[in-house]
Amino acid sequence: MTVRNIASICNMGTNASALEKDIGPEQFPINEHYFGLVNFGNTCYCNSVLQALYFCRPFRENVLSYKAQQKKKENLLTCLADLFHSIATQKKKVGVIPPKKFISRLRKENDLFDNYMQQDAHEFLNYLLNTIADILQEEKKQEKQNGKLKNGNMNEAEENNKQELTWVHEIFQGTLTNETRCLNCETVSSKDEDFLDLSVDVEQNTSITHCLRDFSNTETLCSEQKYYCETCCSKQEAQKRMRVKKLPMILALHLKRFKYMEQLHRYTKLSYRVVFPLELRLFNTSGDAVNLDRMYDLVAVVVHCGSGPNRGHYITIVKSHGFWLLFDDDIVEKIDAQAIEEFYGLTSDISKNSESGYILFYQSRE
Amino acid sequence: MLLSKMAAEGGGKEMNEIKTQFTTREGLYKLLSHSEYSRPNRVPFNSQGSNPVRVSFVNVNDQSGNGDRLCFNVGRELYFYIYKGVRKAADLSKPIDKRIYKGTQPTCHDFNHLTATAESVSLLVGFSAGQVQLIDPIKKETSKLFNEERLIDKSRVTCVKWVPGSESLFLVAHSSGNMYLYNVEHTCGTTAPHYQLLKQGESFAVHTCKSKSTRNPLLKWTVGEGALNEFAFSPDGKFLACVSQDGFLRVFNFDSVELHGTMKSYFGGLLCVCWSPDGKYIVTGGEDDLVTVWSFVDCRVIARGHGHKSWVSVVAFDPYTTSVEESDPMEFSGSDEDFQDLHFGRDRANSTQSRLSKRNSTDSRPVSVTYRFGSVGQDTQLCLWDLTEDILFPHQPLSRARTHTNVMNATSPPAGSGGTNPGSNGNSITTPGNSVPPPLPRSNSLPHSAVSNAGSKSSVMDGAIASGVSKFATLSLHDRKERHHEKDHKRNHSMGHISSKSSDKLNLVTKTKTDPAKTLGTPLCPRMEDVPLLEPLICKKIAHERLTVLIFLEDCIVTACQEGFICTWARPGKVGLLSSQNQANSPSGTVV
Repeated sequence: MTVRNIASICNMGTNASALEKDIGPEQFPINEHYFGLVNFGNTCYCNSVLQALYFCRPFRENVLSYKAQQKKKENLLTCLADLFHSIATQKKKVGVIPPKKFISRLRKENDLFDNYMQQDAHEFLNYLLNTIADILQEEKKQEKQNGKLKNGNMNEAEENNKQELTWVHEIFQGTLTNETRCLNCETVSSKDEDFLDLSVDVEQNTSITHCLRDFSNTETLCSEQKYYCETCCSKQEAQKRMRVKKLPMILALHLKRFKYMEQLHRYTKLSYRVVFPLELRLFNTSGDAVNLDRMYDLVAVVVHCGSGPNRGHYITIVKSHGFWLLFDDDIVEKIDAQAIEEFYGLTSDISKNSESGYILFYQSRE
Repeated sequence: MLLSKMAAEGGGKEMNEIKTQFTTREGLYKLLSHSEYSRPNRVPFNSQGSNPVRVSFVNVNDQSGNGDRLCFNVGRELYFYIYKGVRKAADLSKPIDKRIYKGTQPTCHDFNHLTATAESVSLLVGFSAGQVQLIDPIKKETSKLFNEERLIDKSRVTCVKWVPGSESLFLVAHSSGNMYLYNVEHTCGTTAPHYQLLKQGESFAVHTCKSKSTRNPLLKWTVGEGALNEFAFSPDGKFLACVSQDGFLRVFNFDSVELHGTMKSYFGGLLCVCWSPDGKYIVTGGEDDLVTVWSFVDCRVIARGHGHKSWVSVVAFDPYTTSVEESDPMEFSGSDEDFQDLHFGRDRANSTQSRLSKRNSTDSRPVSVTYRFGSVGQDTQLCLWDLTEDILFPHQPLSRARTHTNVMNATSPPAGSGGTNPGSNGNSITTPGNSVPPPLPRSNSLPHSAVSNAGSKSSVMDGAIASGVSKFATLSLHDRKERHHEKDHKRNHSMGHISSKSSDKLNLVTKTKTDPAKTLGTPLCPRMEDVPLLEPLICKKIAHERLTVLIFLEDCIVTACQEGFICTWARPGKVGLLSSQNQANSPSGTVV
């Protein structure tokens, strides 16, 4: 905290060169750029997510190759591609960039973000990924329609049935299988659901591994929550569990740290200490999953600092070429891997004000 | 199965309640609130982001029977107290020694059990900035400071221990991933050490210090990648188990500097490691929330245990509940069976199998072994685990071909079994011949304090085993005489006995790296479904803060948390001792 405060007092130039010095000229990765993003008034929710995504390599590469395609009409994705391209093609290795075009496009496209209020980083991530997926799907559809007009031999039925998978899906999409067992007839019915990220409940003094196990724990549906069994043709008690059937390339985990307090009529922050390892495997996979024991590496963490969803600050830590960096809007610092433990949260329940991991990005090893 | 499920659900509801007692099959363990040690003001230490609280014990072997001393660090403070255990309430107003450090914090410590007397103890303290101090908290003097200028290593000391059987050699691990062998007699020099490669293997290298005059460090070990979190010497002192942030357990022959075997965590760093009292098994705990049992002889994972909700910070075997059971085959026939089922049914679902095999055995002396170990974690929970023979010997056919006695004794070090154990009072104790061999003095064990009570208990056990109904045998403990004997053969680290052949080949040895992701499904890291998954015997939330200490003593279990509270849990039958202390203090050790 103090280090960052001092750093923010210094002007950007010295901060940038300090980072270069910190990494060392020999160690500085070739073709890599570490650029802070200017805050346009409470836009840290956006800056933090953009930095995390920039360091999710498959995502960055796809955005950059989208930029390389022919010029399109401006949309949120073209603005993102321009921003990533501008970072990736900077002459300097470190510095600061104003993501002005992206922010104004975002504010234009969605009323939710068209203000100077503090926003939820997870909500923004969700919006961004879904918007990009929609844009890409729309473009594919357009291409096909153009092709159909030219050739006139496209199978219309097939096209309508199948939603095209985009590279956003290839990177982030996994599948959950929701198994429900009727306690009367023992029939198991399962339903698959796709996800781009998993939102897990948090508990004090636990690990992300435990939160994920808890997410998949068997739950009994009884009394008012009874389940309508197709076989019994009536409402029955049932057991339900959700397990991961298809593991995504990048597993985005959202820690549900903001909880609505009925008596206070507002959200409060759960600053619980939830530890997250640099390596992760999932325990909550279903038996028929492929690659169910693939190993994940932590690549980025969006950290929420402060006491509530509408107050506070977002920063991001990322792993790049073997070392860790902290992005705090326009400030970029190299940090020690051991410093990550400062972002696990607090063991004391009294203080709500914490710098704690909020969205974790784990990338699968090949 | 049903029972265990219900128990688990019941535990879940009372999750936020902190337990002050728990029951295992051997009885009730009870927290002794009067025996709580902490800083004198008893104020919880604000623990955010500081070094873990650690506890070291030593017995100074004085005549009063109150020879136990404990040392613990809290924040930048270090305390040294008389430890009264289950016998008497803690007196926090008079620490024998108290030190407050500036600029650097104590992270770990270890007493030399060989040299400890009522007048003097040798305590090594490791620090967050890399230094190591040798102090005597009884004489209250600081004898030496090592790595003072931080020329050897600047990173945090993660583990410091005296080399077993030595009065002068000690080993220090750092978060840099390096480990150094020091001799208290040598200086650290005024310049950074120059190293010469002695030996290199897969993911490790050992260097000697190149210098005209003998200086510290004698050796530099580089082990794996990332921090070296903990190491532990085998009970016979010959092997060294290291666990690292890269998720690997590496076991070395300490003297010959040979890699004996490795294991990879399921994922994440390994944080803690310990040996079974007979040196046959190693247990690790780590960031996969699991405890992993590894066979030293077979170099493979034999079981994993899931019970913790967060990272496992300490694992330790309970030598006093590790049992050697000599059972009469008749015991398992007839109506006793129902009783057995009731008694053990909750422990593990598959225990039926082991009892079946026992019943089928016509061996005249079938011996069953149960190892008990415990673990504490960042989830503030204590777990106890039993390692039973169905896990230890899964491939044994259910027939008369089983020979437990051979399995047990074949690889046992000959020293110790059936040895005599004269206590400080001169009592002679004969240990059961088929007991697990006794451990060498280890840090965190109390070799001497145990003797006075062990005297009476062991003789009771002898009789019990002879009659074939015993459930637990007390492990014998090394006596002072025997250890002085070892001292005569002081370790020398001239390294003359290390084969030079391997160092000749050094240039040819390419540092091959094991990709942790590719270890899955190999003996290094079997898949979850390929090894038995243990369930904890008990799993209790016992503190508000992360647990950082777990030590099994003869009368009690000692735990400590990050807030700086050191708790004593009386073992079954030891609760009442606080009121009837005269009896317990009696050195003659009347039968309890």
